[in-house]
Amino acid sequence: MALSDSVLDHLRHVAALPDLTGTRYELESEIGRGGLGVVYAAHDRQLDRRVALKVLDFALAGEARLIARLEHPAIVPIYETGTLPDGRAFYTMKLVAGTRLDRYLAGSPSLAERLRVIRRVGEAIGFAHSQGSIHRDLKPQNIMVGEFGEVYVMDWGVDAVEGTPAFRAPDPSLDHRSDIYSLGALLRFMLPVAAPPALRAITTKAMNADPAARYSNAQALLADIERFQEGHAVEAWSEPLWHRLRRFGSRNAVLLWLLAAYAAVKFLLFFLRNV
Amino acid sequence: MNKILIGLLFGLVLGAIDGTTAWFTPEARPLIGGIMVGSSIKGMLVGLLSGWFARKVHSTKWGVVLGAGLGLLFAFIVAAMPSETGKHHYLEIMLPGFVVGAILGFLTQRMGPPHPAVIAE
Amino acid sequence: MLAGAWGMIGSRTYLDTDTSIGGPHGGFPSTQLSLLEAATSGLANEALERVIALYWKPVYRFIRLKFRKNNEDAKDLTQSFFATAIERDFFVRFEPSRASFRTYLRMTVERFAANEHAAANREKRGGGIEFEPLENQAVTSESPEQVFEREWQRQLFALALDDLRSLCESSGKQLQFHIFEAYDLADEARPSYADLAARHGIAETSVTNHLAWTRRTLRGLVTDRLRGVTASDREAREEMRRLWL
Repeated sequence: MALSDSVLDHLRHVAALPDLTGTRYELESEIGRGGLGVVYAAHDRQLDRRVALKVLDFALAGEARLIARLEHPAIVPIYETGTLPDGRAFYTMKLVAGTRLDRYLAGSPSLAERLRVIRRVGEAIGFAHSQGSIHRDLKPQNIMVGEFGEVYVMDWGVDAVEGTPAFRAPDPSLDHRSDIYSLGALLRFMLPVAAPPALRAITTKAMNADPAARYSNAQALLADIERFQEGHAVEAWSEPLWHRLRRFGSRNAVLLWLLAAYAAVKFLLFFLRNV
Repeated sequence: MNKILIGLLFGLVLGAIDGTTAWFTPEARPLIGGIMVGSSIKGMLVGLLSGWFARKVHSTKWGVVLGAGLGLLFAFIVAAMPSETGKHHYLEIMLPGFVVGAILGFLTQRMGPPHPAVIAE
Repeated sequence: MLAGAWGMIGSRTYLDTDTSIGGPHGGFPSTQLSLLEAATSGLANEALERVIALYWKPVYRFIRLKFRKNNEDAKDLTQSFFATAIERDFFVRFEPSRASFRTYLRMTVERFAANEHAAANREKRGGGIEFEPLENQAVTSESPEQVFEREWQRQLFALALDDLRSLCESSGKQLQFHIFEAYDLADEARPSYADLAARHGIAETSVTNHLAWTRRTLRGLVTDRLRGVTASDREAREEMRRLWL
């Protein structure tokens, strides 16, 4: 049987499509490929809503259960798991309407906005760690910013097969500290070109080649970011004296101005009298 | 350490310092003891009232305004008191008093236990 | 002779009750062993047959394109490649962790053909540049390597389609196959579901169902064929990722 190129490609396409007969879903279109499977948009006939349907190449029922256990505002809720007639496992989850993080940055959000997103991601990661789960493949493509500004971290627990090297820790075995590395890489990715040295220092600490030298957990990293946002000294950065004075000055600006006003008044009166 | 105590303490210290600067005015030097005492009491009063206000109202802006106003008021009272020389140094007393009052207003707002509204934020 | 060609490549335990590639689909059990399993369990001949069935055409086209051989020379070279490969245990030296079997085989072909080419040239005197006529070859913008992979994909599906045809004939599912053939194997204009329904006197939903059944059966058969020429689950998975569109 001689297959032309067009027929071959057509077969490659249709053989890969999930057959949803017997399920309550109707296939709509492919949304993306991540981790160990392809994600489609599907229509749930029973509830009359659109869902995201992820088909796993191989029956790793563990992945769905892993995520379903994690209930967190930044983790996409799982609706249902099932098996396709061809034996592949799938699960459905909330269809997030929003933009992926790499495209979100194209809209030039403010630094405060970027830090807000990172904090949401960090909170999700911290929560997952507390539940014993590790993300393993944290990168901008796995983060969505929804239409209401909500942040979702997706594609959990998948060993980064074709992982983007830039975001993957060089550790021989992945544990929660590898996630910290990725979190730091993510922060670095999100920082504008002219980023405050304190923030850059935070990313450097998080991305230390030695896992023991990184932040011990996500909360520690977030706490440092918070310290930066409140004008306090950041743990990751030993700042030069003049910078410390400048920061002190900006935090206590009002008081310093008042003291200056007092001194000015005194001097003024002194000179007025002796003129 | 509540806001009233903070006001009293800083009022005392700043008032004393303010009074000490009278030393730069040669004619005031012999009276410096009394000036310092008076200034300290003035400061403590302003501090006390600012501290009390800070417990009720959480607003740095209004705290500063009130402190400055009280500082001005009490400085005026002091300046208007009959003096031995018969001269009244309104400007020299009221202007610094105004600023010191503002400082006390600021400090009582910012320091000490947070206002309940802040905890709820 | 062939049995000795494989020897022990390496031991690998195969449990995998969970990760059944192409698992149960319409009652067609998956019995395909991976390359290594076939080799280590003494089914070397069968493994080799599968490899040759799949790779003959891709190797032939690759040699034609890369080394600018004419039809006859390319055929001869392909034949001698496989014969030599078996004799010299080329396939035994494959290390699953380094590359896919497909890439390994292609590189082996390259080395083999280059050696043959050099040997042939040494026989001629005068040294100088040889020009091989590019007779009747389709001008393609693809590299020989891309052509190799493409032919491999084509042959993989072709074999799976043969399997599908036999399966349908032996299990009385000729209707399903006809509908699939008319729709998915159509080269130009595809008939609509309504047309097909009318043609065979069935409902449109049946058309949808038949297509679905056939497609997923085909998927299973492709997967089986693929497993027969890969050395590990992981390799099979990665090849599949490249395969599906």
